[in-house]
Amino acid sequence: MAFLILTLLTTLLALLTTAAIYRFNVILTPTRNKPLRHGRRNPNEPTHLLVVLGSGGHTAEMLAMLKRSVTAPNAAEKLNWKDYSHRTYVINEGDDISKERVVEFEELAVGTAEDLMAGKVKKATDIGPGKYEIVTVPRAREIHQSLYTSPMSSIACLQACRDILMKHTTDTRDGHAGEAGKVDFPDLILCNGPATATVLVFASVLLRFFDVRGCSTRGKMRTIYVESWARVKSLSLSGKLLCRVVDRFLVQWPQLAKEAVGRVEYRGVLV
Amino acid sequence: MASTKTCFVTVGATASFHDLVKGVLASSFLKALQSHNYTDLVVQYGVDGKQTFESAVKAAGSSGIQISGFELEKAGLGKYMRLAKGSGKETQEGVVISHAGSGSILDALRQQIPIIVVPNASLLDNHQVELAEALAEQEYVVHGKLENLVKALENAEQLRQRQKEWPPANSGVHRQAKAVGLRGILDEEMGFLD
Repeated sequence: MAFLILTLLTTLLALLTTAAIYRFNVILTPTRNKPLRHGRRNPNEPTHLLVVLGSGGHTAEMLAMLKRSVTAPNAAEKLNWKDYSHRTYVINEGDDISKERVVEFEELAVGTAEDLMAGKVKKATDIGPGKYEIVTVPRAREIHQSLYTSPMSSIACLQACRDILMKHTTDTRDGHAGEAGKVDFPDLILCNGPATATVLVFASVLLRFFDVRGCSTRGKMRTIYVESWARVKSLSLSGKLLCRVVDRFLVQWPQLAKEAVGRVEYRGVLV
Repeated sequence: MASTKTCFVTVGATASFHDLVKGVLASSFLKALQSHNYTDLVVQYGVDGKQTFESAVKAAGSSGIQISGFELEKAGLGKYMRLAKGSGKETQEGVVISHAGSGSILDALRQQIPIIVVPNASLLDNHQVELAEALAEQEYVVHGKLENLVKALENAEQLRQRQKEWPPANSGVHRQAKAVGLRGILDEEMGFLD
């Protein structure tokens, strides 16, 4: 009798594991569905970009990269900040320096954004500079504390990240009642190496695993990871953890693209 | 005095780097600064570097170089970078000496100020040495050694003549793609097809 129960339990466990692995495979394939879009600034299709800032070097690199893109002189490289109607910045609690940098950057970025049309057409199509918010999470770990020895603070951080990902609801605009009031998961998550980013990406994977509020079927939370420019020969810890999880994994040195595994790609230096 | 020329030293915000603070205040280095017509030395000595800085200044005595220091600058180092860059007539272009933090290196490269990068060897996971080496190989920066900062300063004075611009002019690989760089990647992921 005991043997029978044991066999049943093992079979059940095996089935569940297989199902879970299958599910992870489905949601972690970079070729998973993207949402269908109709034009770059369609007022009926709000866009939400979430940027994770660490502290010190991570923040500096992220903002240097964004600054370079929004101020690029050539059209092919210039990132138009108005393409993203909602921007969320995640920073660590108490990191006032990063907060100041974000405010500075937003001023610059919105100032450099160009309008798609001019005159009357502009009036009709302009969706304005959009909105941004700065949200804070508790630190996943203190400096010098290992990621593995800090399960409690990591769990607190994980919960905070889940709340942040589900926090924003679509702006209610005339004419898109269909989308109004839904949880507006970020369309894109842009991050580099701080521990907070790793935790936030895992939170997004869990939400997609269970397809919470349709986030997976709606193709939300595609994730772009940019390895630090300071990483020339080897991936960082965050990089190793995330190189098979994120949709895009960019390194900034060609020699690292040859060495590393996973979804690593080199598209030139980005900072 | 006709014009000023500033050497700006930064050790970053997170870790202390006493050896660099001591190194730039050594009399041999101050002499080298003077022989290259420097007038000012500004040191950002970091969270617990105040004592090291003050005792090293005292030990250096009077050197003909105007020395000043500060712990951290919440508003960013832009002001000091501009001081090192100089503005032409009154102030000559000087040099930046950095602990190899990518933020300060990028700042200096963008403004095309010659920069000496001195990685902090006391940090455990020291991938910053790799960055310093890779950038020095491409002649963007001078990779300075703590033992020989005088030599590094000479190299930096030479680098000034052939300072390259940042971002690199041909940095967009995949020329065939319509949008390049970070924008290209964001567009692809968003599904913006225009």
